[in-house]
Amino acid sequence: MPDQSHVGRRYEATGQVVDGAGAEAFAKAIAGSDEVFAPGTVPPTYAAVYALYPTLYQLFGDAEVGVNLAGLVHGEQAFEWPTPVRAGDVVDASAVIASVEQKRGMTFLGIEHEAHRQDGAVVCRGRSLMIIR
Amino acid sequence: MSDATTAVLSSAAIGDEMTPLSRAVTQEQVNAYADASGDHNPIHVDPDFARAVGLPGTIAHGLLDMAILTEAVARWAGGYEQVASVSCRFSKPLLPGQTITCTGRVIDVDDSSGTASLELEAISSSGERVLTNGRATVRLAR
Repeated sequence: MPDQSHVGRRYEATGQVVDGAGAEAFAKAIAGSDEVFAPGTVPPTYAAVYALYPTLYQLFGDAEVGVNLAGLVHGEQAFEWPTPVRAGDVVDASAVIASVEQKRGMTFLGIEHEAHRQDGAVVCRGRSLMIIR
Repeated sequence: MSDATTAVLSSAAIGDEMTPLSRAVTQEQVNAYADASGDHNPIHVDPDFARAVGLPGTIAHGLLDMAILTEAVARWAGGYEQVASVSCRFSKPLLPGQTITCTGRVIDVDDSSGTASLELEAISSSGERVLTNGRATVRLAR
């Protein structure tokens, strides 16, 4: 179970390629049976793929932190995109455990994300709140 | 590369309503999002598993709901690259077969940075408040 001693733990996924075909499949999934909006651009929440999951899966697999995946709920999400991301960009992503709080018998895990291109331009900052029941 | 047919919003005033966006979300779409995002958590794709953990059935990924909310903001602002930030709380699950409707209203305009801020929410066709505490910032054309 996550506790205060885990605050500051950092997970990195370097060299993530923002894949144009992957972004197109993602855009189609958002559209469902509607027409894809702005084909050729990368939907901003594709940050889930190049920034969140590659680092969060490391955190969720960290046996010392011990997140109970069966009780995990995504509570809140914030994203900022200081520089729009483009297909072909190569980014380094990181996630840091920013806070751990026990409330009402649940654990609230705050995670801060950042992803930047290899020229230093930040394409995404984010904050996830995960609730573990 | 932005869509040349979409005009980028150049001005906004406090109280302006974002054009609402409604979308019927199907299980097929949730499956496609699972494949495209890599999030194959069985609560989204396996009805038996979802019911076994106390849900009424599979639920859409919160990040799929948020992606549709972000599209609503981008359509109003004139392109994905105009969207500087989006945040929300995943308050209630959206169930496949329901329609999500995203709405928003301008709450601040910053002429010096050329940005407008909105408050947002998304409700399901059964009246559940799916996404709450929504906020976004858009870059206006200058």
